[in-house]
Amino acid sequence: MAEPLNTATTSFDALYRECARDLYAYVRTLLGDDASAEDVTALAFERAYRRRESFDDTRGSARGWLFGIARNAALDELRRRRRAAPLVGDLPDELAPSADDEADLAVRRSTVRAALAALPARDRELVALKFHGGLSNAELAVVLGTSETNAGTRVHRAVTKLREACHASA
Amino acid sequence: MRQLDSLSPAEERELDGLERALAGEPVDADLRDLADLVEDVRATAPEMSPGFEARLAHEVAEGFRDSREPAPRRRPRRWVLIPAGGCLAAAVVALVVALAGDGSDHPTRSLAVSTNAAGAADSAGAQPATPEGKSAPRAPLAAPGVATDGRLTTTAPSASSPAQAGATGTSSPKRSSAGASSSSGAGSATPAPAVAPRVGAASGPRRVQRSADLTLQVAAGKLDETADGVVRTVDRFGAIVASSQIGSDDGSGGEATFDLRIPTARLDGALAALSELGHVAARHQELADITGTFTSTEDRLSDARAERRGLLRALGEATTQEHIDSLKARLRIARSQIARLHGDLEALRRRADLSTVSVTVRDGGASAGDGGSGSGSGWTPADAARDALRVLEVIAGVALVALAVAAPLALLGGLVALGVRSGRRRRREGALDAS
Repeated sequence: MAEPLNTATTSFDALYRECARDLYAYVRTLLGDDASAEDVTALAFERAYRRRESFDDTRGSARGWLFGIARNAALDELRRRRRAAPLVGDLPDELAPSADDEADLAVRRSTVRAALAALPARDRELVALKFHGGLSNAELAVVLGTSETNAGTRVHRAVTKLREACHASA
Repeated sequence: MRQLDSLSPAEERELDGLERALAGEPVDADLRDLADLVEDVRATAPEMSPGFEARLAHEVAEGFRDSREPAPRRRPRRWVLIPAGGCLAAAVVALVVALAGDGSDHPTRSLAVSTNAAGAADSAGAQPATPEGKSAPRAPLAAPGVATDGRLTTTAPSASSPAQAGATGTSSPKRSSAGASSSSGAGSATPAPAVAPRVGAASGPRRVQRSADLTLQVAAGKLDETADGVVRTVDRFGAIVASSQIGSDDGSGGEATFDLRIPTARLDGALAALSELGHVAARHQELADITGTFTSTEDRLSDARAERRGLLRALGEATTQEHIDSLKARLRIARSQIARLHGDLEALRRRADLSTVSVTVRDGGASAGDGGSGSGSGWTPADAARDALRVLEVIAGVALVALAVAAPLALLGGLVALGVRSGRRRRREGALDAS
């Protein structure tokens, strides 16, 4: 029996609390700038709220459903950008190394951030969905519209590229 | 997709290690860098600004009252409308076809009441048949409709003008009186008005031969009862059954035919009574004026008798044997001619006095219960079951036609929807390649 995210506002609130930060991280990683990420994140939650009655838990988790909505909104934003003037993504925030931070950790994370930004968009998206979104391969398959096995394969290859990029930068 | 789904065992192990690292579980030493990578990527995850987080939380709590999107619209699923429209169109077509077919299925429904009678066409407003037993006034020798017809208003023909008599007597002009039947209401089961003029055949100079065909439709199982009713009616009106034949009534529909001789003077009443026995599917009357033939025969008989009287007188005065023999021979011929003419005259008189009526009773007709006014044409449960079956047949036919139209449309609509969806997804994915 499908359990819609219907009038039970608490259900949607719970989904929001559980996913909001991860969703923003994914969208921000995909789009590359804060303003667009905020707009798309808010739009994704609003769409999810409007369509909460159409959610069918037999077709996947609420988390995967929400990330699917966010992905479509983000891709639409990317298409709009392509038609308009290309935006330059925000420069990655430089971690201000504190006195307590170890120097090599700071360097490592800076390297990871740069490697991630240098990845092709498809791979960057996969990393974001997996690492920031915390989606299982089954949820990834629903979001990407592919099979679970194919989703796993694609994740592995994206991570391999990221590892190679990190090693190359190191 | 270029990606292959298959992974080598080493790759599967790495993927498994990644899952463990993401779940916070320990990983093998050689995959330690994966755990570090997970930690580093998560540590560099972008974070919402406090202002945006508070604003978004507020909007969620308020149910997105200040919508950034247009009001939620339930977009009609247009692909659903395609088969629905097809079904509607098919239903309309099927209904039209069914109605047209229904109308042509029952050709006998249209009450085929025609009266072929000289001058009857002019008497469309003639009085309806009055059942025998009611005190309806007897018709005069010639009904007004007949009297106004030039060819029938001849009074007693002159005995000295056999040529004229022959000219009028043998003619039996036939006119269709479709207009007369329409005045009684097509489709109505009430007996059609007897448009034929009332003619007292035996009591006056006018000699009219009348005949009628009557087809009655009765409900299933009512054949025997109706046949008995025909016989009772025959007895009541002093008629005779010349012949009859009753077919089997096995439920699939039987038929009974009666060849009746009914006194012409009581024909209208008898026909009315017979018509009440069932639904009148067809009624046909003919009227032939045999006055000319009758008077001609009567004249020739009179002439023959006069000749015989003259021969008898001549025989009394004959003197020679040869003359006597000749007169006797001529007398034999005259007697023979008189006998023949007498027989002809009696036959003509019988034709005028007794009308020939053919009654056919049919059982199991679909229209037996349709508005029948007679006692044998009531709407029975069997009729209801038959009608219900017919309705179900029509519904099934409509559904079949609708399915035949809707199925290809639905398939086509589904393919189009699939193509649109696939195209949209491809365009979205294309944004990733371009960025």
